[in-house]
Amino acid sequence: MTTLRIAGGTVYDPANGVDGAVRDICIQDGTIVATLPKNAPKLDATGMVVMPGGIDIHAHVAASSVNTARRLVPEQHDADPARAPDLALDEDGELVIPRSGSGGTVPSVFTTGYRYAGLGYTTVFDAAVAPITARDTHAQLDDTPIVDAGCFILLGNDAYLLRQLAAGATDRIQDYVAWMLGATRGYAVKIVNPGGVELWKENVREVKTLDDPVGGEAKVTPRAILEALTTAANALKLPHPVHIHCNNLGIPGNVATTLDSMRTVAGQRAHFTHVQFHSYAGERGKSWASGAKQIAEYLAQHPETTCDVGQVMFGPACTITADGALEYLLHTSNGGKWVNVDIELETGCGIVPFNYKDKSAVNALQWVVGLELFLLSPDPWRVVLSTDHPNGATFQSYPELIHLLMDRAYRDEKLKAINQKFLVGSALADGIAREYTLGEIAIITRAGPARILGLTQKGHLGVGADADITVYTTDADRTKMFATPRYVVKGGTLVVEEGQLRRAPTGQRHGVRPGYDTLIERDVKDFFDRYLTVAFENYAV
Amino acid sequence: MADGTIEHTTCLGCGCACDDIAVVTRGGQIVEARNACPLGVDWFGKGTIPARIRSGDGPRDADLASAIAAAAARLRSASRPLVYLAADLSCESQRAAIAVADMLHALLDTLTGTTASAGILAAQRRGRASASLGEIRNRADIVLFWGTDPATRYPRYTSRYAPEPAGLYLPKGRAGRTVIAVDIGTDRGPADADVRVTVAPADEITALALIRAALLGRALPSPGADTLDARTSALADRLRAGHYVAIVADAEASEGRDVRRSDGLLSLAEALNGPTRCALSTLRAGGNRSGADAMLTAQTGYPMAVDFARGVPRYRPNAGAAQLLAGGAIDVALLVGSAHSVPPALRGPLGKIPCVAIGPRASESPIPTAVAIDTGVAGIHEGGTAFRLDDIPLPLRPALAPPNDTVLVLRALAAAIAAEARAA
Ligand code: SF4
Ligand SMILES: [Zn+2]
Repeated sequence: MTTLRIAGGTVYDPANGVDGAVRDICIQDGTIVATLPKNAPKLDATGMVVMPGGIDIHAHVAASSVNTARRLVPEQHDADPARAPDLALDEDGELVIPRSGSGGTVPSVFTTGYRYAGLGYTTVFDAAVAPITARDTHAQLDDTPIVDAGCFILLGNDAYLLRQLAAGATDRIQDYVAWMLGATRGYAVKIVNPGGVELWKENVREVKTLDDPVGGEAKVTPRAILEALTTAANALKLPHPVHIHCNNLGIPGNVATTLDSMRTVAGQRAHFTHVQFHSYAGERGKSWASGAKQIAEYLAQHPETTCDVGQVMFGPACTITADGALEYLLHTSNGGKWVNVDIELETGCGIVPFNYKDKSAVNALQWVVGLELFLLSPDPWRVVLSTDHPNGATFQSYPELIHLLMDRAYRDEKLKAINQKFLVGSALADGIAREYTLGEIAIITRAGPARILGLTQKGHLGVGADADITVYTTDADRTKMFATPRYVVKGGTLVVEEGQLRRAPTGQRHGVRPGYDTLIERDVKDFFDRYLTVAFENYAV
Repeated sequence: MADGTIEHTTCLGCGCACDDIAVVTRGGQIVEARNACPLGVDWFGKGTIPARIRSGDGPRDADLASAIAAAAARLRSASRPLVYLAADLSCESQRAAIAVADMLHALLDTLTGTTASAGILAAQRRGRASASLGEIRNRADIVLFWGTDPATRYPRYTSRYAPEPAGLYLPKGRAGRTVIAVDIGTDRGPADADVRVTVAPADEITALALIRAALLGRALPSPGADTLDARTSALADRLRAGHYVAIVADAEASEGRDVRRSDGLLSLAEALNGPTRCALSTLRAGGNRSGADAMLTAQTGYPMAVDFARGVPRYRPNAGAAQLLAGGAIDVALLVGSAHSVPPALRGPLGKIPCVAIGPRASESPIPTAVAIDTGVAGIHEGGTAFRLDDIPLPLRPALAPPNDTVLVLRALAAAIAAEARAA
């Protein structure tokens, strides 16, 4: 039995209504308990800030596409070699080989786990896994130490699913979704540019409205795909029903598409991801402006709708998405290297390394739109933190992002220095006084993501919760404070000690296995036999 | 294992990784590999392999623990060790071997470093427009074979992927597709191509540039009747008219080919994505080579030629195993996988240094070994995962049992090295 008392810290546990109270957190065998004997081992956290471990609701860390991106940026790895951590000996003599690696915007697998833990993050979800490559994702996650992980399965352009829609066989869709999540050990349904990836494969590069036909089928439209998958995911009572990347990412005027998508599934639980990239007013080829206010207004009226922001931060990034058409556009606009992989009958993948510049008018607007989404947010529980790592910035920029949210003077100073061209009339440019409190930071990085993901054991410090805990030394420089936690506990193991990574236990995998009518397997197998190049029998992980 | 038939087995005879093989065993031997092509039948063979453990010069076999201890001591005492990943390893074995290289601060390299590096380096500079094989099967209405006919080295490519099968968007299969063969000297495209274009080897790079120029609207005005310009601009017109073009080329270096070819093919595929859609499909040989590239990339950030000498991975595509061995810099080698797949150029220098071999037929290695531990062939005796040439992961279904399991041997080796390091 291993026990630990984190004593005397200032605790932020918003899910249990604790907002900066001094109390002890007791841990026994990986779980939080009510009390421990007085002589239990103790960690003095007096004067320090104690929060649940961070939860990244949307990142790209372990997909096949991520590994393709990794291969594309050797120059970034050259510039950021990562030594193996100096791990302490494991108590049970279990051999844990500390591993070197490389960083940059797409770190190697071990380095990814170490660095997340080093930031106080203990749970990470990979947001875009092509089902046929799920086996690779789980292998990469096996080599991503410390953090608990799960993955979202791309279904918004799946040929079998689109055929069911075309045939009006919507009853099959729920069974198919359930089968697929089990087969891939996935956690949630991901929709990327519904219909748009299939259209890109057909050399149709633009989705004008949610009612554009896909594959020449009037019944198959982005709207029909959104409706069908959201309905199926909610009917299956998935812990995280559906994770939506809307059509027209990164295009001025796309806030209309985003609002239309939100209305399409209004009344049902649905999560909209990296909404910053989908909240632009203006008009294609003409002008850009912020549409953040419209999104905030919608969210205020719709408690069933949640989102993560996908903040852009200035500096190097690597755009990796299933949205192939978008990546081609980006490549033609920045002239940089470009990868495209069309993935058979399922989805796509595009990659373009990118550098966001504060002197670029569009990049400056993107930065502002993200911050506005946070600062105009009607409810921190439903507008949570992400950078769409590494699309808007890497996860290592979270501390600076938190600093921007908590410190108006710091933020306004940065705002002055950026390109102002598209900022006329923006709420941030007009001045937003709001500063996030530590309690609110705990919501947007822990409690909120846990609730949205349906992780009842995580994101809080109540009795029975997983003992994933981060302890920070209080510092007015919030970047510094959040970049260097003093202690991190993962599943009861002290992984960061005095700011040093000392242990690297294996994280847990989160997946769902909803029930379904097994008749679906026969039909899917028939489809596989006819069109896929992988045997049905070899598909499930 | 008992007699019987294992269905849906994945063949690693070449990078096609056909996963529809039924392997029939009787009396501990493979008697049939149904659906496999001749190359695949050859690769499966009978599945009989030696089961020996050799350490030192003694006539008798060593026990596993002492062989592992001897290997660990050899490798620990090296000042410039090499860990070399040959063919026939599962991804799981490759991952375990990379961990050993990391611990030893070794140079880590693979078959890719000597056979397929040009295409990887070019793609790292410029990117790559590609697709999984199923997308090509279901969608490609134009299939262009650039100086390659898969018939001998990748026999079932044409029947499983393209151009033969019917696809979701190509119900007529072969009849619905146009096959273009570009013959470059003796490297000829498929015999049954609908269109043939001949290019002299000396003109190959120019031809690629001319097709691209034509696509980008930069062709020379009114070319003569049978000049290279005329042929390439006619080809550009055909390609542009396709809905989805697949360009198929062999990634494994054939001697004398210009390394700029990789860049030319990538540029061409990229340019075709302006007017239409296009994917470049590059052929890889067998034994899970793409898996090695992917596992190295995941764990180190680099797909081949990784030097851990400074305690962190450094990319050394121009100072990999071939170069360092030739220069006499390596003093001990750990050879993992089939020693018989090691390129001839590496065998000589490897023979001059102490070699620890862990892999199928290690005890019969053509390279002299100080320690040899026989393990199984991934896909025949060992399970796990392998990558198809397009990076699609597939499960392995071993029909026979291995003499020793590569992953377990490598893990034991890592533990022995760690224990020695701790004691020191
Ligand atoms: S084509 Fe290649 S993978 Fe397929 S059966 Fe032949 S050798 Fe094996
Ligand atoms: Zn994303």
